[in-house]
Amino acid sequence: MKLYEFEGHRIFSKVGIESPFFVVVSSVDDLDQARRKLKFPIVCKVQVLSGRRGRGGGVKVVTNEKQLKDFAVEFLGRDFGGEEVRFIVLSEKVDIRAENYISITYDTVLKSPFMLFSTKGGVDIEEVKKSDPESIVRYDFDVFDGPVSRELEKLGIPSDFALRLWDAFYKYDCRLIEVNPLALTGEGGWAAVDSKIILDDAGLLRHKDLNILPKGAVSAVPTERELLAHEIDAEDYRGTAGSKFIEFDGDIAILASGGGASLLVMDSLFATGGKPANYTEYSGNPPREKVEKLTKIALSRENLSGCFVAGAVANFTDIYETLSGFIEGLRQVKPKVGFPIVIRRGGPRQREAYEMLSKVAKKEGYDIHLFGPETPISVASKMMVELSDKYKLKSQRANLKSAN
Amino acid sequence: MSILVNSQTRILIQGITGKQGSQACREIISYGGGDVVGGVTPGKGGQEVEGLPVFDTVFEALKVLGQVDVSMIYAPPLLVCDAAFEAVEAKVPLVHIFAENVPVLDVCKILTLASEKGVRVLGPNSVGAISPGEGKIGSIGGPNPDAVFSRGPVGVISKSGGMCSELGNLITSGGFGQSTVVGVGGDLLIGTTFSDLLVDFEQDNQTKVVVAFGEVGGSSEIEAARLLKEGKFKKPFIVYLAGKFAESLPKDTALGHAGAIVGLEATMEQKIKVLRASGAIVAENFEDIPTLIKKSI
Repeated sequence: MKLYEFEGHRIFSKVGIESPFFVVVSSVDDLDQARRKLKFPIVCKVQVLSGRRGRGGGVKVVTNEKQLKDFAVEFLGRDFGGEEVRFIVLSEKVDIRAENYISITYDTVLKSPFMLFSTKGGVDIEEVKKSDPESIVRYDFDVFDGPVSRELEKLGIPSDFALRLWDAFYKYDCRLIEVNPLALTGEGGWAAVDSKIILDDAGLLRHKDLNILPKGAVSAVPTERELLAHEIDAEDYRGTAGSKFIEFDGDIAILASGGGASLLVMDSLFATGGKPANYTEYSGNPPREKVEKLTKIALSRENLSGCFVAGAVANFTDIYETLSGFIEGLRQVKPKVGFPIVIRRGGPRQREAYEMLSKVAKKEGYDIHLFGPETPISVASKMMVELSDKYKLKSQRANLKSAN
Repeated sequence: MSILVNSQTRILIQGITGKQGSQACREIISYGGGDVVGGVTPGKGGQEVEGLPVFDTVFEALKVLGQVDVSMIYAPPLLVCDAAFEAVEAKVPLVHIFAENVPVLDVCKILTLASEKGVRVLGPNSVGAISPGEGKIGSIGGPNPDAVFSRGPVGVISKSGGMCSELGNLITSGGFGQSTVVGVGGDLLIGTTFSDLLVDFEQDNQTKVVVAFGEVGGSSEIEAARLLKEGKFKKPFIVYLAGKFAESLPKDTALGHAGAIVGLEATMEQKIKVLRASGAIVAENFEDIPTLIKKSI
């Protein structure tokens, strides 16, 4: 999970890393209160997860009340690079003598943590890699030992700051931690003027005390459906359902199964001209209630013209249980679902599941099309797109008729 | 021949008294290949599962049972680190971690200790490995592996458990069997990578061609390509890459697997380019795989 800049600074404060004094503001009404704690000039920064705030005018030094208010009015609640700005940070302006860069993350080939440091901070590190690669030093170290002071010093990395940064990385299960710029201040100290932290989702359970705001998969502000989908796993540890839920502009609801197969399902649907309304997946043999909840959430979108329930041949996921959950969820969708449903699955108790589904479809009047492992996912997805197109055409005609 | 597992493989199961651990135990016994000799669950020493002894620690288990070839870890995610440390300290040659959602810091510690002790790790978040007709470890193939897997010349690698079975199904229906099918796990850091397995498959006489299911994010495909370029893997290598749709999503967006992160280390386009340049066969469509196998052997 990617954090807001201010959430990162709060983590820094727990390990003794200094950041410029700041106040978080979420509405124009908060400005007066905040203003009392700060003196002009004030650095105003929009809080978004995409980075590159400077380029869109999202960072500005203001010197009077009017400029401050103008900044807040311009950005709060507005779209910035595709994200809604929920917060702005007002911070003191520090006397910066030099801007550096420092980060810690994992190398997936060496399978160990490493640190990057550069004296060319304040600009995108990707650009420094091109323009001045020699200014970047890399330090690989052992996860048990952590960085070693004298080795850091030999490389010209400020060791006290680096050790504290590792402390934060290690203690709070980070996947990435980056400070850019890391400022050498007029007083000769080091200050984290910015923060970028990505927490390891699997480690979040160990840090319930961190008080982190929920985030969306694509943007900082999760959609309502995304929030609901995330709650499913929070309540029950068995299997996963909905931990990733991304909304798209399309009209075919997706309930995919498995990390790998869900990618194949999405690729196939796009390749056959379908337009998914969402990406989500359940896997690891979740209980039927989880699939029921996820089904209700995915099918709560308006103007759907199809639902594609697809996955690979499961190893240990009980297909009867999970598809029973799907039916339970389907029954609760109001108004009753009339669009075509295509299911493609295999694995334990798949035949039993399909017998049950055919009966339910016939008895309760659902348009369900069943495909087993002998039908490739791409063929099922083509069928989904064709059926959904037919359904749309039929509804258009029906609408025209009623309009006449 | 095959890699990682055969009919004689002696297996210990950590977390054998749990739902998934005991189920995996039953499935391996009923498959008839891979020899489960006992299990470990702290606090449940002295009990039995399927007539097999349960011990409190790996140390005690090995004292009674003798050394094993594999320890399969079916512990809850936050307890995996301790369980794996026990198996690694006991120098069990292969530690298979089934659990999903193990924090990356814990995985890093496990892998670091394992490499110091010369222990191989498969996973975490790995469904296991099967050498059809010989034996299996983990939960691969579920209760009925014969429904999708068959014995033959194709080595198979995937991060995803579901795709292991899906590939088995596709390749078997296409008229080819498999030497060994391995689910390496979809996490950011994993013990056994695509390239580690390619080295094994190169040595294995039964394997004539290897098929891999690649994904958006990470560098396993790039590493594999490097191996091909260096001439360390000379058999035909067929790769399908999934997750093209995600390239339009913002960088850092995480998908189904913890390691499937848009823009992490290499883009899809870079992967395809590097793989092709190394001589790997990149399958445009998933269903083309059997035809590509036919052409290459």
